[in-house]
Amino acid sequence: MKLTLEIWRQAGPTQEGHFETVQVDDASEQMSILELLDHVNEGYIERGEEPFAFASDCREGICGTCGLTVNGRPHGPGQNTPACQQRLFNFTDGQTIKLEPFRSAAYPVIKDMIVDRAALDHVMEQGGYVSMDAGTAPDADTLHVNHETSEYSLDHAACIGCGACVAACPNGAAHLFTGAKLVHLSLMPLGKEERGRRARNMVDDLEANFGHCSLYGECADVCPAGVPLTAVSAVTRERARAAFRGKDD
Amino acid sequence: MTLRNPDREAVAHGHITNEPIRQKPGVPSWVLKLIMAVTGLLFALFVVGHMAGNLKLYLPAEGGDEALDEYGAFLRSMGEPLFPHEGALWIIRAVLLVAIIAHIYGAFALTARSKASRGKFRRSNLMGGLDSFATKSMLVTGIVLLLFIIFHLLDLTLGVQPIAPGDFAEGAVKANMIATFSRWPVTIVYVIAMCFLFLHLTHGIRLAASDLGITGAKWRQTFLILAYVIPAVVCIGNIVMPLSVALGLVS
Ligand code: HEM
Ligand code: SF4
Ligand code: FES
Repeated sequence: MKLTLEIWRQAGPTQEGHFETVQVDDASEQMSILELLDHVNEGYIERGEEPFAFASDCREGICGTCGLTVNGRPHGPGQNTPACQQRLFNFTDGQTIKLEPFRSAAYPVIKDMIVDRAALDHVMEQGGYVSMDAGTAPDADTLHVNHETSEYSLDHAACIGCGACVAACPNGAAHLFTGAKLVHLSLMPLGKEERGRRARNMVDDLEANFGHCSLYGECADVCPAGVPLTAVSAVTRERARAAFRGKDD
Repeated sequence: MTLRNPDREAVAHGHITNEPIRQKPGVPSWVLKLIMAVTGLLFALFVVGHMAGNLKLYLPAEGGDEALDEYGAFLRSMGEPLFPHEGALWIIRAVLLVAIIAHIYGAFALTARSKASRGKFRRSNLMGGLDSFATKSMLVTGIVLLLFIIFHLLDLTLGVQPIAPGDFAEGAVKANMIATFSRWPVTIVYVIAMCFLFLHLTHGIRLAASDLGITGAKWRQTFLILAYVIPAVVCIGNIVMPLSVALGLVS
């Protein structure tokens, strides 16, 4: 299939970027968007030119490394699918595809389509973990978590940290990412102990870089982990709970 | 995003920058969101009550007094003798005034923060549909509502010319309403404003449910239904009144 690509070029964090137009005549429908970029890059490398930089690792939708904006939509047209899993059959022959980095003021561009998502790490560093020494695995049945709770918690633990939710949000909010972690840990016996402190620290840090939630719902539509949209409610609720309760748990 | 200055300290630690987009704001965003949700729902309750009261336009006059005028007199005297004359009414007005100032402050402060967080590349290619449109236009529909509130107060509360009808008389609620809606341009302003109210409220109620932390499937469903029913009822009720007057069905 023939495609016209407009690909973002940006030499470094302090340079302005621009789109570079590339014609591809021999793309196949089975290629993923990343494989299409690999294919384009091979041509550049053969000609001794600078290939396009983009991030990827597992290429099977589990690591959260890949991520670019495809025709204005993070990861691409498919719902709840990471860029590495988006195939070209979603596009028509002769179509123009615009490829650019995840867009957010909190994501400075490192090079071309690679962005620095450290602002998300920063939120996670404030409490996205259990800080007590949990020791070795306990005997079975000593910690009681019912099936429904553990499934609900796991749905929120599924976040792979790709950061697409932020790029999808017209407000540049990271509520899906942060809310997912708050829900996930607040339901587990050890995570519960730090529920209040975690909410206070993570949400305060979140607000230094990210916007507010207007419930566009775009985040949950692109999220490759399928984190439910209700996760965003946890941000305000858990932070308010911590403020009223004034305790660590 | 393109950075203006390279942050060498951050680069040495494997980051591009350590500079947060904003310093800790005076009022945190989560507090502003809670304030917006509570004040927004308060307005939602208010517009329902306001519409229900005004439907007395259609009740027959009792003993020479128009039902609507009697209702107007009740609003002034309610709460007596605990409160002085018009006391309860002024308390409600003061609460609504404080609420609208807080709601508007929240709207502008949050929008400014989010614009800064998003940066210069705006999101395009949104999902689309009614709710997506309503979400996108919250600030616009809100500003239109504010302008409408001012217009409405000048028209039927304060009776300021030339917005109010020429023969405006304090306390003659029904006569004022008929006089004002006998002017087609005014009727059209009210009808259009109600469409904006529908858009603002349909998304607003759902948003408030989310901001207040309502995540259970049944409550979520309830709010989803309320988010269509409340705005629809308010909107239809408030459109029927001016239209029926303009079409000469009420005299
Ligand atoms: C009759 C008048 C009004 C009603 C019934 C109303 C109702 C609501 C409700 C229920 C919400 C959801 C609250 C939340 O959870 O954030 C909301 C949000 C909002 N309102 Fe209003 N409002 C009114 C007037 C206004 C005015 C005058 C403005 C602006 C000048 C405004 C701007 C906004 C904005 C921008 C939001 C969205 C906040 C966000 O994106 O999170 N509203 N409104
Ligand atoms: S919530 Fe979803 S979109 Fe956001 S970072 Fe996690 S996996 Fe990515
Ligand atoms: S490369 Fe690992 S999720 Fe796409």
